Amino acid sequence: MNQNEFVIITDSLKKNYKENGIEVKAVRGVNLKIKKREFSAIVGPSGSGKTTLLNLISGLDIPDDGKIWLNNKLLSEMSGKELSDFRRDHIGFIFQAYNLIPVLTVKENIEYIMLLQGVEKKERHKKVLNILREVGLEGMETRVPTKLSGGQQQRVAIARAMVSNPSLILADEPTANLDSKTSGELLNMMRRLNETTGMTFLFSTHDKMIMEKARRVITLKDGLIEKDEIKD
Amino acid sequence: MIILKIAFRNIFRQKRRTVFTSITILIGFSLAAFSIGWADGSYNNIINMFTRNWLGHIQIHYDDYLDNPSLYKTIENYKQIGKKLENIKGVEVWTPRVFSGGLASAGNKSSGVQIIGIEPNMENNTTKFSKKIIKGNFFSSNGSKEILLGKGAAKALNIKLSDQVVLISQAADGSIANDLFKFVGIVNTDNDLYDRSSLYLTLKDAQEFLVLEGKIHEIAIVTKKLNNVRNIAKIISKEITNKDLDVAPWQIFAKSFYRAMKADKGGMWISLFVITLVVAVGVLNTVLMSVLERTREFGVLKAIGTRPKQIIKLILYEINIITLISIVFGSIIALLANYYLSIHGIHLSQSFTYGGMKFSEMLTEINARSFYIPAITVFFTASFVGIFPAIKAAKTNPVKSLRFH
Repeated sequence: MNQNEFVIITDSLKKNYKENGIEVKAVRGVNLKIKKREFSAIVGPSGSGKTTLLNLISGLDIPDDGKIWLNNKLLSEMSGKELSDFRRDHIGFIFQAYNLIPVLTVKENIEYIMLLQGVEKKERHKKVLNILREVGLEGMETRVPTKLSGGQQQRVAIARAMVSNPSLILADEPTANLDSKTSGELLNMMRRLNETTGMTFLFSTHDKMIMEKARRVITLKDGLIEKDEIKD
Repeated sequence: MIILKIAFRNIFRQKRRTVFTSITILIGFSLAAFSIGWADGSYNNIINMFTRNWLGHIQIHYDDYLDNPSLYKTIENYKQIGKKLENIKGVEVWTPRVFSGGLASAGNKSSGVQIIGIEPNMENNTTKFSKKIIKGNFFSSNGSKEILLGKGAAKALNIKLSDQVVLISQAADGSIANDLFKFVGIVNTDNDLYDRSSLYLTLKDAQEFLVLEGKIHEIAIVTKKLNNVRNIAKIISKEITNKDLDVAPWQIFAKSFYRAMKADKGGMWISLFVITLVVAVGVLNTVLMSVLERTREFGVLKAIGTRPKQIIKLILYEINIITLISIVFGSIIALLANYYLSIHGIHLSQSFTYGGMKFSEMLTEINARSFYIPAITVFFTASFVGIFPAIKAAKTNPVKSLRFH
């Protein structure tokens, strides 16, 4: 099997944590491979380990055992600074609560990562305009997050996650705070972007709509993969 | 640049906290600037009163005259030296003096006196001597055979204006100097110790009386600025070339006064330390609160690839911007307060005596150090205490702060 066709590979991934003094086995040996361009969802009931798995994959959390490769790079071999840079350059995050930087405008939020990367002004400007068009927020560059609706804020978050062309987009419950109409619109948009840009999308969700739109649904139960369903 | 932009906007986002932090820094800075201006103004005022009143800022004597005074340790070519002094930048005025001990008698009273020969016009220019006459007059135009007595000395002799005074001393040629003088005025230098024994003659009379033709014991020099005295003393020393002459700044010839002033100035640093401590606690408190409230924000920044070092920068930029703004406004407040009190001063309900001098008013001073010392202290204190919350912010665990669920 060609390892280069995978964005994510996890091997016997384990993670325990303590909650109110009780040890919780959140992830109990997950073996997972996510191919490039996939539009997948990790689903499962609360406490099944979805979020912990997403945290481990993104390098935000460290596994107790097992290994993670992202774009063929072993995360455990990276220093803190390398991990920061790797996240900045290869992973886009979409959060449930949008988590935009409140003091920056829409344009500044979107170009934040490119500024950290040192992308030139002209190129930044071009990319921001393109992505704003893609997410349907043209003309809103100068607005601050508080002046936007939830749906619009999540569009900005999607634009921020995608603007620097990362290979992987991790989305944690991206539709949880939105109404079904807005959720549907955003999911269609993300699926379209997945097809046009080739970026890999991995969701962690309860949302049935995401499960329906996803091409692959990985069901977690008690920290283990219970079902891995690839749709036609 | 984006980090600086976020920092700048963040300080306007949390207005109440920013205002509180700014006020803490502003008060600390203004107090420090004011207390330094106050201390410098007061001490310079005391030093100036002390030196300009009689001593001068620099004195020239023959060799070790200061430690072992003698009638014979004289400066011979003082007029030539005076010409050189007038060409030295920073020298304002100078005056020659002659000293000797003697016995003064008036009626049936006698008292030991310190005979001081002064050149009336030059002394007046240097120490505003005529203003110290509290009774009678300054020397008349030729001043011949006239004497002035210190307040205490006049009292000891129980003398009236125009009375005759017999003065006896030893002359430089070994003879007994004695002559009759007319008492024309009482001098109050505000130095009681000095006024108890001082008897003033014109320089010409003193030189004649003591057989010191063309010779003097002391040149007192007043400089334009107090803070450059040591350098000017060095320049004078080089210019006059005579190795037998000793050029001393006031810090040397008024050693004990200088030491007392230095010790007193130590109090200024203690108050600066206390102010710094207050600023440090205030800044630490508000910045730490701000960091604790924003852990989610730092978690997001870290998650999307902001390095911990950049988060430290963000917090320090925020502190530095607030500090700089506070310093600007604090400078204006301190400048206005120092300016007002440098003119009007603070009148003391009860005057105090320092080095034998009476002081009834304290003035502040506007100088560069009363701004740059607090500015540097406050800036580095705020930055230093800001490092701890900044590190805390940089160490934010994104997993905990974001709580994906």
